[in-house]
Amino acid sequence: MIEVKNITQSYGKNVDILKDINFTVRENCVTALVGANGAGKSTLLSVIANLIPARSGEVLIDGKAVAKIKTADVAKKVAFLKQSQHFDIRIPVKDVVEFGRFPHCGGRMKDADNKKVSDALEYMDLKYIAHKYIDEISGGQRQRAFIAMILAQDTPYIFLDEPLNNLDMKYSVEMMKIVKKLVTDLGKTIVVVLHDINFASAYADHIIAMKDGKIHKEGSPAEIVNSEILNPVFGHEFNIVERDGKRVCLYFN
Amino acid sequence: MEFFKKQWKRIATVLLFIVLVFFSLEIGALSGAGIRSLFTGAEMRALELEIARLDAIPTDGLDNAELLALIQEQRETNERFNQLYSQRAVMLHSRLPRLFAVILSAAGLSVAGLLMQAISRNKFMSPSTAGTTDAAALGMLMGVVFFGDLPALAQGGMAFVFALVATMIFTSVISKLKLREVVYIPLIGILYGGLISAVATAIGFRTALTPILMAFNMGSFARLGNFTLVYIVLIPLFISVMFVTKFSIIGLGEDFAKNLGVNYKRVVFLGLVIVALISASTFVAVGPLPFVGLIIPNMATSFYGDNLKKSIWDLMLFGATFVMLCDIISRLVLFPFEMNVTVTVSVVGGIVFMIYLIRGMNSGKRIRAKA
Ligand SMILES: Nc1ncnc2c1ncn2[C@@H]1O[C@H](COP(=O)(O)OP(=O)(O)O)[C@@H](O)[C@H]1O
Ligand SMILES: [Mg+2]
Repeated sequence: MIEVKNITQSYGKNVDILKDINFTVRENCVTALVGANGAGKSTLLSVIANLIPARSGEVLIDGKAVAKIKTADVAKKVAFLKQSQHFDIRIPVKDVVEFGRFPHCGGRMKDADNKKVSDALEYMDLKYIAHKYIDEISGGQRQRAFIAMILAQDTPYIFLDEPLNNLDMKYSVEMMKIVKKLVTDLGKTIVVVLHDINFASAYADHIIAMKDGKIHKEGSPAEIVNSEILNPVFGHEFNIVERDGKRVCLYFN
Repeated sequence: MEFFKKQWKRIATVLLFIVLVFFSLEIGALSGAGIRSLFTGAEMRALELEIARLDAIPTDGLDNAELLALIQEQRETNERFNQLYSQRAVMLHSRLPRLFAVILSAAGLSVAGLLMQAISRNKFMSPSTAGTTDAAALGMLMGVVFFGDLPALAQGGMAFVFALVATMIFTSVISKLKLREVVYIPLIGILYGGLISAVATAIGFRTALTPILMAFNMGSFARLGNFTLVYIVLIPLFISVMFVTKFSIIGLGEDFAKNLGVNYKRVVFLGLVIVALISASTFVAVGPLPFVGLIIPNMATSFYGDNLKKSIWDLMLFGATFVMLCDIISRLVLFPFEMNVTVTVSVVGGIVFMIYLIRGMNSGKRIRAKA
């Protein structure tokens, strides 16, 4: 279980980026984190994954403060895929996935590690390009390769920061289906930052809406996706329609 | 067949390496002192026995002719033995250490460049384009200024401290600058190195140590005295191979590394210590070998990719082959005299560096044209 308690955070002497954040990550769910640019979503995930320390408050993983757990052990619990992976680096897909085993084997791959890597490649349908360099495959394939790495990392919690960036609609839908499958098939707990509210509405079990470093509101898609809540969160007029039981936001005006 | 298709680069490098090792051991003014002299142990022992046997022959009952023949035989055996002995000595105390020095310093500098490039995520970083080498020279000079005639190990220590500090300053400044054009970084680094060099020159001038400084800056594998220091390179090389996966992960960025549970700052520091240790000990032992740390990692990663675990051995082999080639050229152009290996490495390495630089500028233009 991950509990976030009274987290505040600021960069340097700037105004507070996160202001007294409290929530509990729902197990076996896809939680979508939504909010305007600069609301503090990426910062919040970085704090939870212990990439940057919180200024005050604490994050508890299974009851233990994350700041007190060794970095290597945090890496066995939480995997975090950052927003932009601008990789101009020539590493084969398979080797990238192998990096995911690092927290477990420290670079010396054993049979069990190779099995996990092979399973992850299989699961993400990457076997046929396993030997290609990641700078010569498509954006969608590259994103899948990083997800495969995180699968190989074999953590119960997965944080994804805008995984749909640079993906076209087909790949975006495919990616969200994979995210869903990871929860239903493998029992993962996933927190995902999405900038398109429609993807959150369609695929998330739970939505957390952030505004100016605070949690504005959290709840099920049915509770969150309405214009009274979303208009102030994004500072934008939404027109929400219902179609086949799903809510869709029309945001062009 | 498939195997050869995949591995031909490796096979070619290994073959070239072996050929060059052979040449390196064979060429030299003293003919006949080649690799064969390593295998003359049995012959020498036989000659020793023969000498003892000839010595033990009683001369009382011999007439003049027989005595002359015996003396003649003794002399020939002795000469043969002395010849083998000196050839072997040249081999063991000059050519072999020289070969080890070439291989170790080249492999070391290549690894140092590779680590610097991973740490800074910049393909143009290397000990000779980040002030590291120049700082090592300054450190060595300061050692002489303050402590007089130091043993090589202490000189190496001073060189190490200066190299480490200078490299840390440069890498942290560069990471803060956030330059868009990576090709400027080696140019800034060369300026920075020039600045350190200028300080060294000024101090050398003030303290009348200019000749010593000039001697430092001319690399040679014939500088027998400090050769032993080059064996220190084995330690950082060993550590680099041990932690190679960590260094690869560092090369993917701080957040990426932290996500995988790698202590980013500590590994970066370890990397810089390794770089400084290698740069300082090779500098004290053989002098500067410019561009090796820049062009060899670029070659190795363009062939075998950026997963350092897969390229580190090839990288060392490339480096050793390249410097061995330069060393052999330096020994042949003025035969029977030797040219400074720094000159050869600078000329050959400089040309390759220019090619990389121009290619880097062009690819930068291409990217901007696309955007
Ligand atoms: N490394 C940083 N240094 C200083 N300010 C930062 C840094 N990263 C983010 N910020 C600021 O923190 C705020 C929140 O950023 P972020 O968490 O990235 O928001 P989001 O992911 O919701 O778009 C923004 O105002 C941004 O400018
Ligand atoms: Mg963000």
